[in-house]
Amino acid sequence: MDREWNDSQPIYRQLRDRVVAMILDGVLKEGDPLPSVRNVAAEYRVNPLTVLKGYQQLVDEQLVETRRGRGMFINEGARNLLLQGERHKFLAEEWPRVSATIQRLGLTREELLQTPADGQPSNPAEKEPKP
Amino acid sequence: MKSRIALSLLVVLLTAAAFAADTNTTQSDAQKSFDKLKALAGTWEGTFEGHRLEVTLRVTSMGNALMHEMKGSGPEDPITMFNLDSDRLLLTHYCDVGNRPRMVGKMSPDGKTLEFEFLDVSGSTQAGHMQHVTFTFIDPDHHTEKWEFAMADGKQVGGVLDLKRTK
Repeated sequence: MDREWNDSQPIYRQLRDRVVAMILDGVLKEGDPLPSVRNVAAEYRVNPLTVLKGYQQLVDEQLVETRRGRGMFINEGARNLLLQGERHKFLAEEWPRVSATIQRLGLTREELLQTPADGQPSNPAEKEPKP
Repeated sequence: MKSRIALSLLVVLLTAAAFAADTNTTQSDAQKSFDKLKALAGTWEGTFEGHRLEVTLRVTSMGNALMHEMKGSGPEDPITMFNLDSDRLLLTHYCDVGNRPRMVGKMSPDGKTLEFEFLDVSGSTQAGHMQHVTFTFIDPDHHTEKWEFAMADGKQVGGVLDLKRTK
């Protein structure tokens, strides 16, 4: 996890988002334990109450469960639940803006499909500025 | 007739005196609570969920305010201010989630516990807000603080800071 935080939203929500990304990327798998509050607080230099809030958010979203005396664990089905939610969120919140930009720039379907995900042209010659 | 008026006046005066006495007692309770809290001024060290935290309390503004700062090495460490507001002791928490809840303090009859109940909040509560704080006075060099946060859906999360004085 990245140690940098931004001011756009509370740190506990950024922490929640990072755990979500780790679940989606398969870094944290269903049934895996979450790192302890103490370890996360120490490692990422945040207040332990912040970590507790972030973890509670994950519990509230049914992505994580608390096992008394053993800690917190990723729920079975958490990844699918997240994928549904994240897809819906992308289509509802991000896609309209991306779609509007595509139309504004007149980008074609072919151009979009030919462009790698990192945005860099696949032909190295295209990377060099022409004199 | 005159005696009736005199009697009525006497009743009014006695009622006013009783009310004033009651108000003074309430003010005095809030002042006592504030004084007890101000006696915590200094630097404290302790743990929260096994993680080391430092708390500093500083009397400021000519004794009219007490500033509480929680330091856990993160950028989100909150500030809390205490002050008297007429007959009540107020807490204002400058929360890392961006809002400022206020709470009113009430001392337990044995004087060992000071509980702050939620009053109101300014700023957005979309990310939840601090809801309840309890100070427990153990001895002059040892106290605990219980901080309870209400998530956006109302569920509570929190824990107890066990603090020992270092200065």
